[in-house]
Amino acid sequence: MARASLRPRRHGAPAVVVARIAFIALVALSLLAGISGGLLRYGVLVPGAAESAWLGHAGLFHAALMICTFLGTVIGLERAVAVKLTAAFAAPLASALAGVCLLAGQAAAAGWLLVVASLVFGWVNVVVVRRQSAPHTQLLLASAGAWLAGNLLFALGEGGAAVLPWWFAFLVMTIAAERLEMTRLMRRRPAAPWLLLGVLSLVVAGAAWSWLSPRLGGVAYGLALLLLAWWLVTYDIARRTVFAEGLSRYMAVCLLGGYVWLGIAGVAWAATALGLPARDTALHALGLGFIFSMMMGHAPVILPAIAGIKLRFGWPFYVPLAALHLSLAVRLGWGAVESALRATGATANAASILLFAATIGGAAFAWRLGEGARRAGEHS
Amino acid sequence: MKTLDDFASQEGPEQEAYPYEGPDELRGPILQALTRVVDPEVAMSIVDVGLIYGVAVGDDKVHVKVTMTSAACPVTDVILDDMERELDKVAPPHMVVQLELVWDPPWTMDRMSGRARRFMGW
Repeated sequence: MARASLRPRRHGAPAVVVARIAFIALVALSLLAGISGGLLRYGVLVPGAAESAWLGHAGLFHAALMICTFLGTVIGLERAVAVKLTAAFAAPLASALAGVCLLAGQAAAAGWLLVVASLVFGWVNVVVVRRQSAPHTQLLLASAGAWLAGNLLFALGEGGAAVLPWWFAFLVMTIAAERLEMTRLMRRRPAAPWLLLGVLSLVVAGAAWSWLSPRLGGVAYGLALLLLAWWLVTYDIARRTVFAEGLSRYMAVCLLGGYVWLGIAGVAWAATALGLPARDTALHALGLGFIFSMMMGHAPVILPAIAGIKLRFGWPFYVPLAALHLSLAVRLGWGAVESALRATGATANAASILLFAATIGGAAFAWRLGEGARRAGEHS
Repeated sequence: MKTLDDFASQEGPEQEAYPYEGPDELRGPILQALTRVVDPEVAMSIVDVGLIYGVAVGDDKVHVKVTMTSAACPVTDVILDDMERELDKVAPPHMVVQLELVWDPPWTMDRMSGRARRFMGW
């Protein structure tokens, strides 16, 4: 039954639809190019890209593409949708365009676009804090500061040792802030938020210290990641919601699996700083095991909000999730012993992400089929 | 697997979830409609989380005051869409569904229902 609503609807406006399509294309470009660049580092060439100049750039800027122009853009979109301010979309627009610049080999332009993106993103988070001043919103603002620090160092030409801890701090603090908000629902020790503040202060100190002393800073950073994994396992509501059903249980499984990888990443990060050969584990247990697992868990909830795509949740979502975790275990576990397995595992990581994208497509199609049947039922 | 129903009170019905003004015959259907809107992150309905601040049914509209746990929540519009969709099924055809998003007073865990608190280990 059609009915007037006093809530303004903007979902279907042509400008909104065009903007959505443009953002989806730019985000997909960064993701696919970032994955291709990552595979290139293992000597795996994506079909049809062997002679392309962009592939070399994608290999060179794999981390910037994955963290800043893919995830940074998605997080920027998520926050812009939340504050409902058109100007807030300037942040994801700048970071998405930075991805195009990176692939064109224009690293300096990309670096300063990312600085602009993180400055606007910082302003958006100030708006959020003004609306609701709470520990989790203040933490989101701090995460924007970490992104800005990393982007400034990147724009100034600093290397991965200085930049990566800040970029990962941005993602880790964003996730921690969202989980902190959720822990308010669960009975917890009064000290829990303060413990998290201490752990995240160590993350920031480790990131800053890494610039001056990679060895000591890296050990502090790794220890902070390990402590964060402990905090999340101890206080997250996923411990409760994993006993629920459907989408809630799936999200909890993604979260809890991610926390295990976060702990592994912490140990590997400290080990790498001490000179042990664990860099791949440090970066990808964190980037894929923790952050992508988190992303897979939240996509069924976030995509309808930021991309206007509604999904029907079902068991197939567990397939790419299991594939990601298993392929990561092959890459980082057996791959440490047999180096050929690292490339196989990395390729399977990429396939897991593509399988997840296909699952999203299937779930969107299933929702449309279900909605069509529901509407037909209403009109009959 | 457990649902919120497994955590229902053994000591009689729980207190009213939110202030309601309007005809008695719509009280139950509106509560059921809002209870069908679930926040999947927490595996609970928005009524159990305590997001509904009040419902007022007038001659020509159903007015619902609702809050979110976070101002940084990107899922707000999805939840509001689901609320409209569910309320649309139970409100008389001539009525407008009006949703008002409010931030004051801010949400606290004291607003959670008894069974929601038991589910979360309180």
